[in-house]
Amino acid sequence: MAATKNKSLQQFDTDDPNRIQDIGWTFKEVWRRTRGTVVVSINLITFFILWELIVIYGDINPLFLPKASDMFAELWVGLTTRAPEGAVFSGSILDHFLHSFNNLMFGLAIACLIGIPGGLLMGGNKYIESILSPYVWALASLPRIALVPLFILFLGFTTKMQVTIIVISAVFPIMINSWAGVKTTEKSLLAAARVFGANRVQLYVKVVLPYTLPFIISGIQQGIGRGLIGVVIAELFGGSNGLGYLIQRSADTFNTAMTFAVLLLLIVMSLSLINFTRWLEAYVAPWRNVNHI
Amino acid sequence: MTKSDPIIVANDLTIAYELHRERKKLVALQNITLEVDPGEFVVLVGPSGCGKTSFINAISGLVPKASGSVTVRGSEVTGPGPDRAMVFQDYALLPWRTVESNVRMPFEFQNLGLSEAEKNKRVKECLELVDLTGFEKSYPYELSGGMKQRVGIARALITSPDILLADEPFAAIDAMTREAMQAEMERIVMETGQTCVFITHSIDEAILLGDRVIVISYRPGKIKEIVHVNFPRPRMNNSDVKTSKEYAELRDHIWNLVKDEASQTNRGE
Ligand SMILES: Nc1ncnc2c1ncn2[C@@H]1O[C@H](COP(=O)(O)OP(=O)(O)OP(=O)(O)O)[C@@H](O)[C@H]1O
Ligand SMILES: [Mg+2]
Repeated sequence: MAATKNKSLQQFDTDDPNRIQDIGWTFKEVWRRTRGTVVVSINLITFFILWELIVIYGDINPLFLPKASDMFAELWVGLTTRAPEGAVFSGSILDHFLHSFNNLMFGLAIACLIGIPGGLLMGGNKYIESILSPYVWALASLPRIALVPLFILFLGFTTKMQVTIIVISAVFPIMINSWAGVKTTEKSLLAAARVFGANRVQLYVKVVLPYTLPFIISGIQQGIGRGLIGVVIAELFGGSNGLGYLIQRSADTFNTAMTFAVLLLLIVMSLSLINFTRWLEAYVAPWRNVNHI
Repeated sequence: MTKSDPIIVANDLTIAYELHRERKKLVALQNITLEVDPGEFVVLVGPSGCGKTSFINAISGLVPKASGSVTVRGSEVTGPGPDRAMVFQDYALLPWRTVESNVRMPFEFQNLGLSEAEKNKRVKECLELVDLTGFEKSYPYELSGGMKQRVGIARALITSPDILLADEPFAAIDAMTREAMQAEMERIVMETGQTCVFITHSIDEAILLGDRVIVISYRPGKIKEIVHVNFPRPRMNNSDVKTSKEYAELRDHIWNLVKDEASQTNRGE
């Protein structure tokens, strides 16, 4: 019986997997894939060359704008040396970077440990939601920088204070996104799972969680941005290490090349982390953001 | 043939939705009384928004009723059950799962005592049935609308449910595949004795598949008329059916009923 059906379909087998063709590595294809990188590289190289030329020929005080080459030199030296054991107030860029980076990662990890379960619980249980949501919104809408003096008062100029500020900065986007993911789970998917026999736990594990996963990742992405602000602010306000501190100290000591080097490093770090989460999101949830032309 | 007890009974069923912003209720279906016999193929037709999906959802246990009752085999429907499977109008496939894994989903939630090998065989059979062999590893977003719909059909058939609720299952499928699928549907229902409640906008499909065609009126949805279709089965590959005078008359009759309602739809909006 299936045979008769297949016969009637034979003349236009549009679903034939053999239709999938190999594109191959033609010149056009290689260009299409690398175009973006090439354009960005040319753009950036031009930018730094122009910067260099403007400083050299524009008679600009290097105290305000260092040469791009000086900045790169400072960055290179700073990243390839370490401070001697026991040095407290000096330290190379790498030392300070590692301090900030470790704090950021540690803070983000704690923010995830609080934010993800918190958001999932709020989305899953309306009592927990109605109890917690006013506080979540209140704290989320408060500019986090306003809390810094308070944390310095509580915890002093310590790493603990810095991490706390990172956590408080990053936790809310993560929590709110996880919460939103649960709340916006498509009703028809839940209906389908229920019709085919899913119980509450199965609904949560097999529908709500996979649906929420990309939301959680974009929450973490926003958390990274906020967390990074938290890192720098905490170190600017108080502390004797970290990139924020280094910015402060280098500017105080008129080492503008160092200041710019640290700013560049912050940009690179932030973009790399955010791009990593973008990639992760696309990897775990390829069904989102599919643009059919 | 002895007349057995009806398998689905809707008694004075009314379904209403709350409209949150307006403190009002929208009555989608009103006073529906209908009995469906085991093995019967019932087709619902009616204008868009008249409450067909709501009715089928009341049978599947997805929407709460406002008043009246729906019973399946004598027991009141309070939620979904393994005896009823559904093909969704909007496919409702899990986007993070492959075709194969979507079709297998009911096995994860229902323990039918099948071995892994038997489950695999069943998945393979059902995919073959809807002509999706070769797409086991594709994701729903990689499929066309018609292909997604066929995944939804395979998923509903996989557990061989007693009652199949199908909400416009062939709407997105091209005419030729559609005809083949209709024939398959008729064959499955004839072979397995499944009871089927089927929604369509195609009057031809309604007459070809249905033992009874229920015409539903527009807002609030009520049963306007029940049309019996008595052509012998199988009808699908029988060209005599479509060319008969009786077929043309039935078609005209149902078409006029639906047209009346549809014109009210336009006036109402
Ligand atoms: N969840 C809901 N909340 C509020 N109103 C709803 C809901 N679902 C359906 N309705 C309303 O109930 C009525 C019937 O909807 P239903 O989906 O049952 O129609 P239908 O006959 O299946 O239409 P179509 O042929 O377009 O699928 C519509 O007017 C719709 O606006
Ligand atoms: Mg509908």
